[in-house]
This record gives sequence, structure tokens and C-alpha cells, in this order.
Amino acid sequence: MIDWTDFGLFALPAMLCWLAAALLSLSGKWKKSVYLLTVGGLFIFGTYIAMMWHSLERPPLRTMGETRLWYSFFLPLVGLVIYWRWHYRWILSFSTLLSGVFICINLLKPEIHSKVMMPALQSPWFAPHVIVYMFAYAIMGAAVLMSLWQLCRKQDQISAIDDLTRVGLSFITIGMLFGALWAKEAWGTYWSWDPKETWAAATWLCYLIYVHLRRSRPAAVHSALLWQVVCFLCLQMCWWGINYLPAAQGVSVHTYGS
Amino acid sequence: MGKSLGMTEGCLICCGWIAVGMLLQLLTGPVRWEMMAWPVNAVILAAMLLCIVLMCLLRKRIRLFRWMASLQAGIPALVACAMMTVLMGVTRQVPSGHVPTDPIGITAMLSFWPFVLAYVWLTLLVGLVCMTRLIHPAWRNIPFLLNHLGLFLALVAGTLGNADMQRLFMTVQEGKTERLAIDSKHRVHELPMSIELHDFSIEESPKLRFSSDVTVHTKSGTTVRDTILVNKPLSVHGWKVYQYSYDEAMGSESNISVFELVRDPWLPYVYCGIFMMLAGALTMFINRK
Repeated sequence: MIDWTDFGLFALPAMLCWLAAALLSLSGKWKKSVYLLTVGGLFIFGTYIAMMWHSLERPPLRTMGETRLWYSFFLPLVGLVIYWRWHYRWILSFSTLLSGVFICINLLKPEIHSKVMMPALQSPWFAPHVIVYMFAYAIMGAAVLMSLWQLCRKQDQISAIDDLTRVGLSFITIGMLFGALWAKEAWGTYWSWDPKETWAAATWLCYLIYVHLRRSRPAAVHSALLWQVVCFLCLQMCWWGINYLPAAQGVSVHTYGS
Repeated sequence: MGKSLGMTEGCLICCGWIAVGMLLQLLTGPVRWEMMAWPVNAVILAAMLLCIVLMCLLRKRIRLFRWMASLQAGIPALVACAMMTVLMGVTRQVPSGHVPTDPIGITAMLSFWPFVLAYVWLTLLVGLVCMTRLIHPAWRNIPFLLNHLGLFLALVAGTLGNADMQRLFMTVQEGKTERLAIDSKHRVHELPMSIELHDFSIEESPKLRFSSDVTVHTKSGTTVRDTILVNKPLSVHGWKVYQYSYDEAMGSESNISVFELVRDPWLPYVYCGIFMMLAGALTMFINRK
């Protein structure tokens, strides 16, 4: 049976693949190996997630450590899609770096938990709800990195940021609505404004503002880039910030830590 | 032609709504949602729809109404709602239905007038912009309408229907039949059906599972026998029966089961809105322009 102690055996080879791909893409040569190495790393990492899923007998989505697992997986994937679509040489270095940070956190602090899962989480909605959200987080992470890059280096990539934000927003919307449908099934109300839901609403509104602002004032690029940062901070609050927010302690149905 | 209305005016109007909300909060106290029960919510909905239709028809003549369907009005409204929501996120909220514990009222944000008015303003603008597209139907408007009309439907039906939603709790002993349930304010309600509990059990493997084996007897004489699980409520006569709790001190030996009974007549409209938004999100994903 596989568990967190085996994480390094999979994470390090995957990381090496992604690192090699990132360096090759920076050099601009051997494009095919960039794709092969990234996909290879994704395969190794994905195998670990699949085996964890199998040995836990539930989707590995319950704890912060487990959601970081998905984030580390989706970041290189999103990076690869952006590389393929817009040919940014630096994007794989960024996605690898971020993914590496999450892998290191999981290596140092794996947060081991038992198999038992709360009955409310044993729902067919659970996996799609969290996976869609994790994917959205990864896309928005890429969007904010590109915004910061443009703010510092003045390289124009606003149209790519817009595209990413639209895709990310559609995923956030789907994740949020799946959550609402699930909550109705499990608790009888689709929206109960618990702290996580409140911050999810605030995050959704912030990204809506971004999308509408881009339509209304296409020339105001600088403020749009800054707004991306605000949106991402909101997203972080929603994802893990509320675990440390005094106002949210002990009242959220979304904290399953104990 | 005077100066056209823009984003600045949008911000000023939002500030105005918040000021009006503060005043209402001071004068009348928190919003009393329980007063919105049928038929009040239907009257409010009819008035709102009438307003939207009139504004839409008059928008060629009255600049304010034309502007209200624009991004310049919509973005400040979104910002106002986002700010109110963040304010809610950073303050500890009292459980729903309780009175706020602070002098202003932000600990019961859902009944805080400025919060409510900001969302009402946003909803009105969304409704108006939908109407302006609906009166000139075109295929290319479909993604827009799925997103915006879906949100309008979900917000309006969810909010107005909230007072009509009944949430009751019923405790049944094994082998007994119960037809009375209490609400969150401990008032007793008689239901159009009764629930007989045959057995409550907790299984620990392979997965933790709470289940109640029940028979529901309805007034019309029909009986339904089924097992209620945490994620598998029982639907009967417009009510949904959820597994809610048990005697936690007794654990798996518990000989009582607590059910939550929910009736929500506006639910189909909320679901319609949610599924429209889901379809809209897909169009946003596929058609990235």
C-alpha cells in the first residue's frame, strides 16, 4: 500500500522531468523533448495521485496536503498548455517553481490523515467540485504570475492574461455551482454563506469585475494587472486564508482538519 | 446634451445606496426577511419585473435607464457587492435568524440594509441588461443571456424564495411513528405525513455511514419504505427528508434518528438559473472571445 512516505519517490523524478523541460524551453531548443519531459513528469505524478486514491479508498482531496498534491499536478499542466498556445519560453520555469514549492511543503509537512471520511463528503459531487476548483486555482495562479511579470518587465501579454482569466473564471463558476448543487443534496441549502462560501462569492465577484473592466476600459492595462493581484489575494483567502482568519474559526463546514 | 453618465456616477450611486441602507438600518433595524413570505415576495417580484420592463421601454428617452444597462453602471455595482461581501468575510457572523451583536449590524450581514441594497441594485441592473437583449432576440446573445439571466434567476428566486423555505427538525425513536417537527425557533409544526423509524445504524467500514430505515405514511394513505443516508435524502410530497443527526452520546447504539425536513417551492427556478449559469460557463470556456 502506498502512502505519504512514498511521495518523494514519485515527486522527485517528476520534479526532475519538469526542471529539465523548463531549462530546455528557456534555451529554445528541442521543443519535442520539452513536451515529452513535461508529460512524463505529469504521468509520474499522476500515477502517485491515482495510487493514493486507490489506497485511501477515497479521492485524495480532503486535507490541505492532499489539495496541494493536485495543485502541484495542475500547475505544470496549465504551464504546458500556455507554452503550447502562446509559446512563452519562461512559463514552464514559473509553473515548475510554484509546483516545486508545493511539493516541498508536502515533503516537509505531509499532514497524514486516516482513511475515514465524513459522510457528508462521500458524495459524487465531491471530486468534481474540488478538482475543478484546483484547476481554476492553477490557471489563476498562472494569470497572476504573468500579470506580475508584465508589471515588472513591461512585456505585453495582456491578451493571454485575459484568455486565462476567462477560462479560470468559467472553472471557478462551475466549481462554485457544483458546490451549491452538492450542498443542496447534503445539507438542504445551496448557499449558506459560511466563511468559505462568502470568500468564494467575493473571489467570483472580483474576477467578474476584472472581465467586465477589460471590456469597458481595454486601455487601462496597468489597473487591470494590479486588479489581478487583488483577485488572487482574495482567492488565497478563500483557499487557505480562512483557516487562519479569526472571524471564520469554528463556524465553517469547510474545515475538516480535526 | 449634458455630460454623459459614466463610472464616477456609478460609484456615486452605489455610495448613495449604501448611505440609504445605513439610514434604513438606523431607523428600522435589520431587514426582516421573514416578512417576505408568500404572497409578499410575489408582489415584490412582479413590481421588480414591471420596473425592468418599463425602464427597458423608456431607455431610448431616459438617459439614466440607458446608462443602467451599461458596464459603467454595472462595474461599480459589482465593486459595491464585492466590498460588502469582503466585509462579511472578515467579520464573525451570528447564526442566521439571530440579532446582530454589534451596534451597526454587520455581524448579521444578510440582514444589513447596505448589503441587501447593493445586491438589489446589482440584480436590477442585471435584469435590465437581460431585458434589453431579450427584446431583440438574436442567437449571438445566447451565451450572454445564459450567464446573466441565469444569475438573475438564481439570485431572485433564491432570495425571494428564502422566506417560503421551511426547515424543520424531527426526532423519531426506533419503532415509533412521528408527525410533529420543530423549526429553528422551537415552534411545533404538524406535517402532512408521518415518519416511522424501523432502524437507525452506523457502519464504520468500509466507509462511515449513517442510515435510517423508515416508512413514510402520507395523508392520502400511501406509504413509502426507504433508507435515508447523509447524501441521499428522501423526496415525498414536495418535502425532502435528510439524515441530520442521532443520539451522539449513545453513538452506534443510538435508538433515535433526527431528520431535517426541507420544503422549498422556489427551488425549480433556482435550479433553472444554476443550470443556465453552468451552460454559460461552458460557452465562456469554449468561445474565448
